[in-house]
Parts: sequence; structure tokens; C-alpha cells
Amino acid sequence: MKLPIITRLAILDLWHEWILTLCMVLAIASILTPLLVLLGLKYGTIQTMHERLMEDPVNREIRPARTLRLSSQWFTQFKQRDDIEFVIPTILRGSSVIRVTTNKKRLLIDLVPTDYNDPLILTNNGVIPQQDECVLSYTAAKDLGVKKGDILNAEITRTRDKNKESVQVKLRVVAILNPRADSLTRIYAPFEFVNDVETYKEGRAVYNRNWPGGIVLPPLNYDGLWLLLPQNLTSIDEINLTVSTGLTEIIKVQANEFEQELNFYPPNNYAIYKISAKNNPITTNSLNIVKNKLRGKSAIILPFVNNVMITDKNNTKIIGLSLSKLQTDILGLPELPWGKFDINTNFARQGQALLPNNDKSPVISLTSKVIGGEVVFPVNNQGASFNKNIIVPIELIGILRTGQINQIIFDQRQKTFLSAKTNYHGFRLYAKSIDDIPELYSYFISQDIDIIAQIQEIEKLKILDKGLTRIFWLIAIVGIAGGMAALIASLYASVERKKRDIGVLRLMGLSCLQVFRFPVYQAIIIVILSNIVAGSGYIAISYTINLMFINEIGSKICTLPSTYFGLIFIITIVIATLSSLLAAWKTTAIEPAEAIREE
Amino acid sequence: MTTLVLELKNILKHREQGGATFELYIEQLQLYKGQFVAVVGESGCGKSTLLDILALVSKPNSCEQFTYYDSKTIDIKQLWEQQQEETLAMLRRLHFGYVLQTGGLLPFLTVLQNLRLVSEINGFHDSKIKELAERLDISGILNKKPQYLSGGQRQRVAILRAISHHPQIILADEPTAAVDERRALNIIQEFHNIAKENGTIIVMVTHNHNLVAPFADVTYSFDVSDVSDTLTQSYLLKQ
Repeated sequence: MKLPIITRLAILDLWHEWILTLCMVLAIASILTPLLVLLGLKYGTIQTMHERLMEDPVNREIRPARTLRLSSQWFTQFKQRDDIEFVIPTILRGSSVIRVTTNKKRLLIDLVPTDYNDPLILTNNGVIPQQDECVLSYTAAKDLGVKKGDILNAEITRTRDKNKESVQVKLRVVAILNPRADSLTRIYAPFEFVNDVETYKEGRAVYNRNWPGGIVLPPLNYDGLWLLLPQNLTSIDEINLTVSTGLTEIIKVQANEFEQELNFYPPNNYAIYKISAKNNPITTNSLNIVKNKLRGKSAIILPFVNNVMITDKNNTKIIGLSLSKLQTDILGLPELPWGKFDINTNFARQGQALLPNNDKSPVISLTSKVIGGEVVFPVNNQGASFNKNIIVPIELIGILRTGQINQIIFDQRQKTFLSAKTNYHGFRLYAKSIDDIPELYSYFISQDIDIIAQIQEIEKLKILDKGLTRIFWLIAIVGIAGGMAALIASLYASVERKKRDIGVLRLMGLSCLQVFRFPVYQAIIIVILSNIVAGSGYIAISYTINLMFINEIGSKICTLPSTYFGLIFIITIVIATLSSLLAAWKTTAIEPAEAIREE
Repeated sequence: MTTLVLELKNILKHREQGGATFELYIEQLQLYKGQFVAVVGESGCGKSTLLDILALVSKPNSCEQFTYYDSKTIDIKQLWEQQQEETLAMLRRLHFGYVLQTGGLLPFLTVLQNLRLVSEINGFHDSKIKELAERLDISGILNKKPQYLSGGQRQRVAILRAISHHPQIILADEPTAAVDERRALNIIQEFHNIAKENGTIIVMVTHNHNLVAPFADVTYSFDVSDVSDTLTQSYLLKQ
């Protein structure tokens, strides 16, 4: 391929004056080479420090500075952030201490939860422990005198009802962490195990591990109540019912409106009120207050909920009713097997139903939507419903309403609803990069969560980077200015020397624009050659520097990514082009007649 | 010799340098195909100024007619007035050849590269260059740079470069000034042959009237008069 004529002339002229060209190339290379080395040192040093901070997850760890109450939803939402590599709830420090015994030693060790992708474990010679497995910190392994593969006996103790109780678990050591990972005596175990330990320590039973203890039943919640009275309430009574009860709205309704909801009519002479809580649901405490306020008025209180969907296989409407014999008699309903409303009832009483259409199934399965998904539970058939609906105790409905604000589970083994553990007292968090930590730090501060992070180390690195960048640019600007001045002077002088030659070219018919390009191309060629020389010089010098320090530092301190070379190449070409413009402008002022005159 | 190629009428070129003014008047100048034109005069009479005007590199201050006749008529006067520098550059490139006093060769190119330059600027490759080089006895120096050539060799290379793209007009500015008389005679003989063989117009500026007289079809000289201490006027005269 033949080069365009001006490019060829520019090259041939530079080649003809090769000594001058070489001097110019070396002059620019002598500016570029130290700049490249300086940039390489800056980049390499900062990169090495950055990588060290990055490599060690300890530097990316964020810990809460005090005990928190964080819900499962908080963790679910927080995990969605792009700047998080790993986050896991932690338990109360008081609950996390377990006694570990080996043949030789016995120690109290802090139990830490872990899970898949835990960077602290994975980057420190560890593997994620599975069920009945654990990972030990270096100090813990040393103090216990155990090695990988050994079996530990973990004892979890608690005091309940003034009695000391304990359970024991065998854990296999699957890894021992590097000393730098954790300087404390710690044992890392799967989150489920750690969570169970806390449950046990809090006095509750852990049925899947056969650890005995108490149970925590979910409280009951309602959105309001129907009030049936043989007489109307006075306005004072009405106001009184909204004081200290959580109820905010009281409406007198017609019998048919009541019937639409509950599928039966109240006695003809009864006044019917619908009393609702507008924002938060009411608890059984509110029901008791209402009950006390209506003492002596022969009131029938029927709690209700809104928007709790319970379905059976036939999508039959389900109504919650708990009434005493006296109340069913007043309302003209058959007696309910489970009787009156009782806040202390367990599922043995709540799990009953009256089924319509002569359904003889001894047990039916019901489903309801709660936080975290659906809950499925059985109810026993206690006989025929007095209408086309399924009738269940209102306490059952109250539990499911609770399930819409707090997580509940149905424990199949115990055949009961239980409150799921929804609050955690802390977290172990690793940011994706150290650069993400300042933003996460700001986030936690905005959430009023005090945290501990290596923010100062990161800030120090950033300040160092900023300082070095300024120094580099200061030197670079002086160097570039010098290089530009040298190039401008050289090209201008070259055009002055070649006035006659350029005049001859103009005489031969080259246009102003064509001769304008002559010094521009020469500048670009000189800078390309300078880049090659400077690049070679940089490679040699950086190799020597790295060779000298590799043993002390362990990594390259003078290095540049290939994109930098591309960027520097483009920048120098632009600077060269700008530097050549004066000389280029000078060429356009050369008249062809000057060729004749010069002769 | 009847085809008119270039015609100039009532042209004035005004020049100032160092406080002194020089004016060149051209009443009429007609150049015909194949004509060997000698322009003779002493230093400072306006020879190079005339050459500048003919080479389309210097704009006349006033002009009645300046026409180039090719397949179509080109009004150079109008091109100057409209400042159509690109068109003038194209005319120079295609139809004019130049031989300067010391050759005007580019020092950073070899002889061969110098010879090919004009053809390349015009966008064609002339395969006859080496053949012509043989004829002018310069085939042995094609790879040399101009600074290694003698004055005669340089001029022959310049002549060959001037004719390499087959122009209609060759302008030669004292091409024999730097060579001995024998070489000068050879050069003028060569120009004469080119004019006759190719129909090329040769305009040769020289101060040596005797050297050029035997070959010139027409000779122009200058009538120079110092009107004042600062004004010199020169009139082109046909002999």
C-alpha cells in the first residue's frame, strides 16, 4: 500500500534529516519516559495498596457498633444492593458463647454464623461448613489443639426457670482459618445452627434438633369488632370506646350489612355497631378494654379482620366466630364446639371447624397468605356448619392476621403456629469493594446505625492517591510544556529552513491545505517514534525497579495497564498536532513565488 | 506554430521592497504551441517578475487580458479576481513545468523520487521516466540525492522533472546560470528539441542573449528606466 504523498514526503524529509529527527525523538522520549515511570510508580503503588485492602475481606468488613433490632425483611432488602458482597444476621453476643471441649481442652468460644460465599472463610484457607461442621479461627484451633478433620464437642447451656440446662452437639472441623482472618477465638458454623443456638439460649425449644424448651405462640390481631347490644350506645359510650382501645371509627350499621359479612342476622331488637382500627390492628388487650368498658350492657363482641384470605380446596367462605353457649342462644345459633373467645387457647382448640354441605372429611387443609409466603395448616371437622360457610374459631383468624405483620410458621411436629424469629441483633457485612465502604458508611449513618469500618484506611489511601496524582500532573504539565515548546521550535525552524522546498511544492501544484499537513504529519511521526522509544525505556526501567523491590514488597510497584499506553499515545498525538499548528500555519504563508525568488 | 496557448494584454505588476518601487508593464505577450521564447535582460529588469506572472504565482495589479487556451478558454484574470487559488494550483500542476536556477530539486528526495513527484502529485505514473533519463544521460544517478550531483546533472534532472508530466508550458529561470558554457549550450539545445518534438512552449529567462539567440523563435527584452530615486519602470519589448 502506497502512503499518501504528503505522508511520504514528511517521512522522507525526516529520514533525510535523521540526526535532527533522532535528536527530537530522544528529546521527547526523555520527557515521556520519566513521566511513564512516574505514572507507573503512582499506579503500581496505589494499586498494590488498593489490592491489599481489597484482597483482605477484613478491610471490607462493616460491623455494627451496638446491638440492633433488624428484621428479616431488612436483610432481604439490603441484600439487593449492588455494593454488598455478603451479609448475614448475627445473634446477641450473650447467646453466642458456647462451650467447646476436645480430648485435651475445654474453652468458651464465640459462635459466629456463616453461609455460602462468606469471603472471610473463602479467602482465608477455609471452606463453608455444612450441617454439623465448623470452621475455627487460627487462635481457636491453637487453643483447642485441634486440626482439620477433628471432632469437637459443643455444649450449649442455658438457665431456664432457675434450672441449668444444656444440649450437646458434635461438630467436625472442616477448616482452620489463616491467622490474619481473625485474631479472636471463634468458631464459624452454619447460620441455621447459630440461630438454633440462640433460640435454645432464649429458653425456647428447637424441635428439629430435639432440644427441649418453651414455645412462643403468635399473638392475636384484629382490624376491629362487631358490637351487638340490646340497646343503643350513648354518644359518650361511643367516644369512650375509642379511648385507649386502638379503635378509631365507630359506625352504627343495619342488620343486613352485618348479615352480608357473617351470614346470619342478629336479634331484631339489637343495635349493631362496627368499630374499626384505622391504621394498626388491635390486640387482645384492646378487646379486654372494650369488654370492661361495656360491662353490664349484655354486649356481644365479635372481633373481625380485613383482607385475610383463607382458602380451602373448594374456595368456601370462611367465617371466624367464637361464642359462649349464652351468646349462641341469644343469637339463635347452634352451640359452637370450641365455645367463647379465649386469648389463651392453643392450636388444639383453634384448629377446629364446622364444615358445610355434609362434608364428612375428618381433617381439611387450609391455606393463608402471610409474610414470607403461604402457611398451610390442618383443621379438624367438628360437625356441620349452620350455613354454607366454614366456621372456624376467631382466634385462628387473629393468628393469621398477625401473620400479615409478623412472620409466623406452622410447626407440623407440634401442630401449632409459632412466631418465627424475625429480629436479629446485628450483622456481618462485607462490601464488594473498599470503594463502596464510604457510601455504605453514609447509608448506615443516615439510618442511625453506628458501624465500625476501615473507613479511615480507605480515606488515607484516597488522599494518598489524590496527592500523588497532583504531583504527577504538576510534573507532567511542566514536562509536556517543555516538550511542546521543543517541538514547536523544532518544527517552526524546520519550516523556515525548508521555505524554498515548500515553495517548490506549492509551485508544482500542491495546495495550501496539503502543505499545511506537512509539519503536522512530521510532528505525529516524531511523537509516534518518541512513544516507541519511551515505551521501551519504561519497560526496561519498570522491569529493573520491580526486580529490585519484588522481594521486599511482594508485588510490582511500577506497572501500568495497557489502556494507559493507548491513552498516553492518543494524548501525545493530540499534543503533537497542537504543537505543529504554528509551523503548519507558517507553511500556508509561503508563496510559490518564493521558490523562484529563493533561487 | 499557430496555436495560441497563452495571451496577456496590458498587464501591470507593482512591487515594493526596501522603500523602492518597481513596476513591470507587459503590453502584449502571446505564447504559441512549440515556441521557444527567450526572455533576456540584466539583473533587476523584471525577468523573475514576468516568470512569476506566467507561472500563475503572482497576481498582476492590473490586467486587461490573461487567457489560457486549452480545449476550452480559461480566464486567468478572472481566477485571480475570484481568488480561486485551488484552480490556479491545478493549472500549475497539470500544464506548467518549472526549471529553476539551481534545479529546484527537493533535497530529501532521490533523483528518481524528484522525477516522479510531479506525476504523483498529478495522480499518474509515468513509465517513460527511465527512458527519458537515458536520453538525458542521467540514468546512472537516479538513486542519488541532489546534493551529490554536479550543476549540469542537477539542471538535466530539473529539465526531465519539468517535462515528466507533459506540460504545455515550461518556465525556465536562468537554467544555465550555474553551468559552464558547453553544458549551457547542451541544456538550451535540449530545451529546443523538446519544444519542437513535443510542441511544448519553452519560456527561458536568461541574461546571456548570445547563448539563446540561435535557438529562440522569439526574444523578449526589457526597457528599464529609473523614473525617480524610488521608482523603476520596466517595459517588456518584443525584439
